[in-house]
Amino acid sequence: MSSLSTSARLSLSSLRAHKRRFAGTFLAVLLGVAFLAGTLVMGDTLRASFDTMFGNASSGTDAVVRSTNVITTPGESQGTRQPVAASLAKTLADIPGVAAAVPGIQGAGQLVGDNGKAIGGQGPPTLAGNWINDPELNPYRLAEGRTPSKTGEVVVNRGAAKKGDLKIGDTTTLRTPDPVEVTIVGLATFGGEDGMAQVTYTGMTQADAEKYLTPRPGEAASIQVRAGPGTSQRELVDELTPVLPKGVEAITGEASAQENTDMISGQFLTLFTTFLLVFSGIALLVATFSIHNTFAIVVAQRTRENALLRALGASRRQVTATTLVEASAVAVLASAAGLAGGIGIAAGLQALFPAIGFPFPDGALVISGLSMLLPLGVGILVCLGSALLPAVRAGRTAPLAALRETAVDQSGGSRRRAVIGTALGVAAVAVTLVGVLASPSIWLAGLGSVLILIAFVVLGPVASSHAVRVLGSPLDKLRGVTGGLARRNALRSPRRTAATASALMIGVAVVSLFTVFGASLKATMDQTVSRSFAGDIAVSAPSFGAGGSGLSPKLAPAIAGQPQVATAVGLGKGVADVDGEGRALTVTDPAALARSFDLGTVRGSLDDLGTDGIAVTRKEADKQHLQPGSTARLAFTDGKQQNFTVRAVYGRSELAGDYVITRQAWAPHRAQDSDTLIAVTFKDGVSTDDGKAAVSKVAAAYGHPEVQTRDEYAQSSAGGIDMMLTLVYALLALAVLIALLGIANTLTLAVHERTRELGLLRAVGQTRAQLRAMVRWESVLVAAFGTAGGLVLGGFLGWVLVEASDGASDSAFAFALPPLQLVVVALVGLAAGALAGLRPARRAARLDVLRAIATE
Amino acid sequence: MTTATLTRTAARVVDAMKVYGSGDTAVRALDGVSVGFGAGRFTAIMGPSGSGKSTLMHCAAGLDTLSAGSAFIGDTDLSDLDDRRLTLLRRDRIGFVFQAFNLVPTLTVAENITLPMDLAGAKDDAASKEWIDALVDIVGLRDRLHHRPSELSGGQQQRVAVARAFAGRPDVVFADEPTGNLDSRSGEEVLGLLGRAVRQMDRTVVMVTHDPVAAAHADEVVFLADGRLVDRMQAPTPDKVLDRMKAFDAAGGARHAGQAPS
Repeated sequence: MSSLSTSARLSLSSLRAHKRRFAGTFLAVLLGVAFLAGTLVMGDTLRASFDTMFGNASSGTDAVVRSTNVITTPGESQGTRQPVAASLAKTLADIPGVAAAVPGIQGAGQLVGDNGKAIGGQGPPTLAGNWINDPELNPYRLAEGRTPSKTGEVVVNRGAAKKGDLKIGDTTTLRTPDPVEVTIVGLATFGGEDGMAQVTYTGMTQADAEKYLTPRPGEAASIQVRAGPGTSQRELVDELTPVLPKGVEAITGEASAQENTDMISGQFLTLFTTFLLVFSGIALLVATFSIHNTFAIVVAQRTRENALLRALGASRRQVTATTLVEASAVAVLASAAGLAGGIGIAAGLQALFPAIGFPFPDGALVISGLSMLLPLGVGILVCLGSALLPAVRAGRTAPLAALRETAVDQSGGSRRRAVIGTALGVAAVAVTLVGVLASPSIWLAGLGSVLILIAFVVLGPVASSHAVRVLGSPLDKLRGVTGGLARRNALRSPRRTAATASALMIGVAVVSLFTVFGASLKATMDQTVSRSFAGDIAVSAPSFGAGGSGLSPKLAPAIAGQPQVATAVGLGKGVADVDGEGRALTVTDPAALARSFDLGTVRGSLDDLGTDGIAVTRKEADKQHLQPGSTARLAFTDGKQQNFTVRAVYGRSELAGDYVITRQAWAPHRAQDSDTLIAVTFKDGVSTDDGKAAVSKVAAAYGHPEVQTRDEYAQSSAGGIDMMLTLVYALLALAVLIALLGIANTLTLAVHERTRELGLLRAVGQTRAQLRAMVRWESVLVAAFGTAGGLVLGGFLGWVLVEASDGASDSAFAFALPPLQLVVVALVGLAAGALAGLRPARRAARLDVLRAIATE
Repeated sequence: MTTATLTRTAARVVDAMKVYGSGDTAVRALDGVSVGFGAGRFTAIMGPSGSGKSTLMHCAAGLDTLSAGSAFIGDTDLSDLDDRRLTLLRRDRIGFVFQAFNLVPTLTVAENITLPMDLAGAKDDAASKEWIDALVDIVGLRDRLHHRPSELSGGQQQRVAVARAFAGRPDVVFADEPTGNLDSRSGEEVLGLLGRAVRQMDRTVVMVTHDPVAAAHADEVVFLADGRLVDRMQAPTPDKVLDRMKAFDAAGGARHAGQAPS
């Protein structure tokens, strides 16, 4: 008890004395914990805000009546629901306890802004529906102007109007996807905000909604019901249920709001938080290395002090405890500061979101117990875990070490380490290769990758002396004795150099992994388009699933009518249960499809599918045991079922999709129709420019969809990847920053250790500039080692990931090493090293020559 | 010959004042010292601890700055120089031998010897190559050139430091207790080298020491006490120096005795 408190006193006084040494550790933990805490608090707060928003918006709706028939295709959370008869509303309104019942029509409608560009459509849905005049039942509230009263008049949500620079009285185009001329007569809010996140909404008269948004008049997506006084939501549902036709259900308004919230949480928030959590994990992993290194160095520098304690009778455990108590103090302080910082970040983002046009209710931050305890726990664990080994090593200090000169750890690659590391590395690569090539398995490849990472860390000290010698060899020539000294300083303690570089290595490895994977994805898309797309021009627009309203089905025939055009094939989307499983259908002219797209090997023929024929990719055919001539049972969203005969099985599905049926077969079951892509081929002798101009002219009348040549189309398909990569790089910047803090910290400690030597160098004529350069170059060398290791590791793991994805999916995945990007990564790594060296270099140069040579 | 060299000083200080701290706690380490160190001569600075001898050397060698007065290397007034020029002056015109930790551990013996010249980025011309070659033989380290300092004995390390100090043929070599950490035989070797450098190769050495035997190797000893120059002695012998030092002890003792009753 008293011995422990002695340890505690010793460590706390040493902490106070060496605040600077732990500044880097403190910051590393702080940043990692802040990222983690910020992510958790942000996620909870967003979730709560959506809850409130949906709760507010639909507070007047006591029950929702809708079909039970819903088809959900893989990768989609909401599914497509069968409509109900709008006339049902009248029947329901007469039931006692019902105050009002109105049909709600919902579809896709993308507004075109003042500048001629479509508003939104890059993910969040663009909704259109009938404006419900009962304000209690309408989730949108009229904020300005009036409600639509005649055809062509619409109310839009205020956020969309702002984005498109539209005002009341303006006339614009609404793509449904057929262009409809509309006049804005009012602006609406959702749950008190300018909109439901980035979703755009257009409310029109019921007649317009039926005309443009539903294939068959008299249908509605659902019926909203309001209870009379004294009737609870539950009671209302119980009263409604008996009178509903078969296949139609009633749920409470609360349940409906919850479904909407869950949908957003499930789709967007879970993805968002998982994504951020992965990156805070990477940051904390990098922090682990740099913290471990700091403690290892501090313990080594304190050998004499610890030996003296041991000589004076301190037990091993007491010496170990001293270091651990010190680590705990740093851990607790830094984690607590990180937690506060994380909450601060969340608050900052909450303030920032509205500024970038993302409506965000001002509700208080939601700080759950988990989002406090988890970051605190992880921060303390990371810090203590990293300090454990150095602390044990401190305890093992021999009392005799007090009498020796302070020995800096100069150990490097011991033979044992080299043997173990190499064996591990070989095994790891073998496991990975088996997982990738021999018997493809993501798990095996993943296990191999983790082992490779460990092998890299184990082999670091063995590799560092050789690598630094090679990487630094130009320095002697370039920078003379300054460069030579820098190189030798980096070689002094291979273990320390390796440990310092490991943190950066992991950061750079993850960056290069994503760079390689991104480039491979792009190459794959490029290949897909150039292989599968045989057209000259692609006309595309985001379809409903991707947020937009798609292309008008009338556009393809209009383009086909141009004198320059040979064929124009539109690809529409449909959904159906195929033998019991929800599947997306491609609705098109199959004969023309086969001419404009390379479908690979085709068994059977797509020329004559008729109204009861279907074409299937080989992959799906194998899965469902289908072959030309066999029968598949399709169930549609209108509740109808029909047997289709498989008339063709084709090889490539990248652009054409897995199931193809004719427009005639789809017509009876269709919902709001739209095409996602139109492939256009020109007649012989028509130049690309002429053809493109002709197509653009026709397309302009349909709300300016994207008209691109084959190359442009391939490039823009890959455009999203660049955006994603930019985001990933931004998030990885934190991990790299922590690694740099580690380098800076190690160097500061090394400068402290070499005080006398630096003083000597200054005395015999090294200028401050030379001294600074020496420290900076050492930093660059350490960074170069880490960067080189990271590039090799990241490149290899990128290849593993690409090959593993290739094995796991049916479409071929191409591997690409982007030389330019990787050179940029390497240069950034080196520049970062130079940056990390700045502060230690400045501190070293400030050393007083006399103090340095007089140090005892 | 003596008169000719006396007219030229390699280094000197004029009215040198050095005050550490301020107010009541101010300590005058140098209190108006004026002294010149003749070119081509071996001068020892002696005095009891706290007499200011190390401070005098540091200020004369451009390692420290004076609070008042001036220090010269040849005709160059050190107080006119900024840190960079002072550094270049130390590199090009002054050699150093410290008591301990004289060598850069990561450099070999040969690299340590040429360090100041390498820092200057000087091209090895034939003359300096020949000179360094001769130095290596004089200090007797030819078979150690590619060793690291940690592989040498203390005496060998100091000999490397001596070779480095003279390698650039500086105007003056300052040695701060160069034998303080050595056994007497090694110390004798190092002192012999310093003496030979002055007498056979016409170099200039200023050495701080508290050891009368070491001081006796010099041509002249200057005595400092309480920050003032109190005496100079030509052609010193260990006994004469020891006697002179005893006089300080007596004076110091008397002073302390005088203070005790108050």
